Amino acid sequence: MKALLVDDERLARNELRRLLSDFPQVEVVGEAANAKQAREQMASLKPDLLLLDVQMPGETGIDFLESLEPPVPNVIFTTAYDEFAVKAFELNALDYLLKPVDPARLAAAIERIPCAREKEPARHPRPAVLESSDKVFVREGERCWFVEVGQIRLLESEGNYTRVHFGDAQPQLFRSLNAMEERLDPKFFFRANRRQIINLAWIAGIEPWFSSGLLVQLKGGAKVELSRRQAQEFRDRMSL
Amino acid sequence: MQVSADISLQHGDASQRERAKDRLYVLFQAAGWGTSLGFAIWMTIAFPEHEASRPLSTQIAYLVLWAGIGFLLSHFLRPLMARWRWEQLGWRALVPRIVAASLAASAVWCVLLYGFIQGLIGEPWPRTHSPLMLLVVCWFNYAFPIGAWLCLYFFYHLFDRLNRSEIERFQLMTSVKEAELRALKSQVNPHFIFNSLNSLRALIDEDPARARKSVTQLANLLRYSLQSGQLETVPFEDELGVVNDYLALEQVRHEERLRLRLDVAPEALRLPIPPMLLQTLVENAVKYGISPRSEGGEIAIVARNEGGALRIQVYNPGEIPADGRGSSTGMGLRNAAERLRLIFGETATLRIRADRPSVVVAEAVIPLPHHS
Repeated sequence: MKALLVDDERLARNELRRLLSDFPQVEVVGEAANAKQAREQMASLKPDLLLLDVQMPGETGIDFLESLEPPVPNVIFTTAYDEFAVKAFELNALDYLLKPVDPARLAAAIERIPCAREKEPARHPRPAVLESSDKVFVREGERCWFVEVGQIRLLESEGNYTRVHFGDAQPQLFRSLNAMEERLDPKFFFRANRRQIINLAWIAGIEPWFSSGLLVQLKGGAKVELSRRQAQEFRDRMSL
Repeated sequence: MQVSADISLQHGDASQRERAKDRLYVLFQAAGWGTSLGFAIWMTIAFPEHEASRPLSTQIAYLVLWAGIGFLLSHFLRPLMARWRWEQLGWRALVPRIVAASLAASAVWCVLLYGFIQGLIGEPWPRTHSPLMLLVVCWFNYAFPIGAWLCLYFFYHLFDRLNRSEIERFQLMTSVKEAELRALKSQVNPHFIFNSLNSLRALIDEDPARARKSVTQLANLLRYSLQSGQLETVPFEDELGVVNDYLALEQVRHEERLRLRLDVAPEALRLPIPPMLLQTLVENAVKYGISPRSEGGEIAIVARNEGGALRIQVYNPGEIPADGRGSSTGMGLRNAAERLRLIFGETATLRIRADRPSVVVAEAVIPLPHHS
């Protein structure tokens, strides 16, 4: 597992590197002192794991993560004392470590990382289609989520933003619905109308609707109308 | 800024209370005198005098006149008592004054009423009593409604005062709590403590000698921030020593990103300053001048004894945003400014301004003890 360390303090990076030397499965491939360097390193090193400081000069770690094109790699946040960030992470079970880092906590965090990625032969060239186990980072206000693409039921266009429905939450993602559509797997995601994309795996029921349209009900309660043309395409796709 | 806003808020509150009180006063006056007049008219109709020398309408007109004079008398008594501040007097002082005021007002009342009816209109005096006798009886009789009016007036003020002192007690309690909270907040920033501990742990392997020194510096800083809260002032030299420890720790973290310049006149070292004042200024300088800048910058501390005052300046790279500083700094600096003013009076100042392009200076001016 290739790891990239992002922290503005050299000593903090050194300390992390030393702590990580106890984990043979983790290889530290690079270090970055700010978001700009981190973006460059991401492009060339393609790490599987980011150890990301929250408070950095310029962009914060959270800003940086939000700006990344999905899929985002696995992320463990590090922070010294940041009540707001810690609260945001706790709410959504994002992994974070408090500095100075407790080695036992670090071991637990690393253990939780799914190692499926290691078996992947080569990463798809970007932009590639997101797989249902890929993660998207979403933030709204003080709350942050890593969402598995397969957990997303519905995506709704709101101007330049896309509202993403999953679990109990529906935060906005700073990407247009069209940009998202290009990245979504057409096997699972279907453009229901101009404003909405649904995840076919989350369909609970389908009823005929006005003028040869369809009304699709999703698990979790949302109802989405398909226009005649989209309904036709939907029937073509779903029928054997 | 904040201070003047608070004052205007209190003014707004007070003027609103005054308006509410005025409305209440008008209501009480109208109700009180209206009821008295109504009762007097009813008495006249229900129990007519044996020798009704005047028609009922004239009698009622005279009663209206009687109530009107009473109303005006009490109305003019109010500002007079407010001016003499009678509502602040104790019982012993107040009772004789109420009696005297009642008698005085009642005398004026009698003179005005009989002067108008008997003097101007020329109504004959009733034959049953001599005019002198009648005036004396009326004088004492009319003193009672005025006295009752005054008693009600002072009872109202008594309740109002009790009420208000309760509110003031709560306000005081709140401000004491706030002060305690601020004292806690003026201690060293926890973010800094944990980051320092983190870099210290890395330093243990990399440079054990410096790590040992850093532990001492962190201990000094923590001890000072815990203990100095109880002192009103400390010698500038003591605070400067701790600030140097703090900056050495920040340099461990930020390395070459944090550069220092110290320019302190020797005669400034013994002058008193409020504890944590310089520390607050320098912490702000690091927070806003160094931390957000990848390239870092220079922090300069300049202290001079000039014109009977200690002038401390802390320079850092940066701009002052048009909308003032971030809320947390505003808070830290405002507390520091308040503490400065409480201890040294109005001549002590704390300001932040742009010194030259991209350099911000925080400047504290503290009058010397014998000048303040």
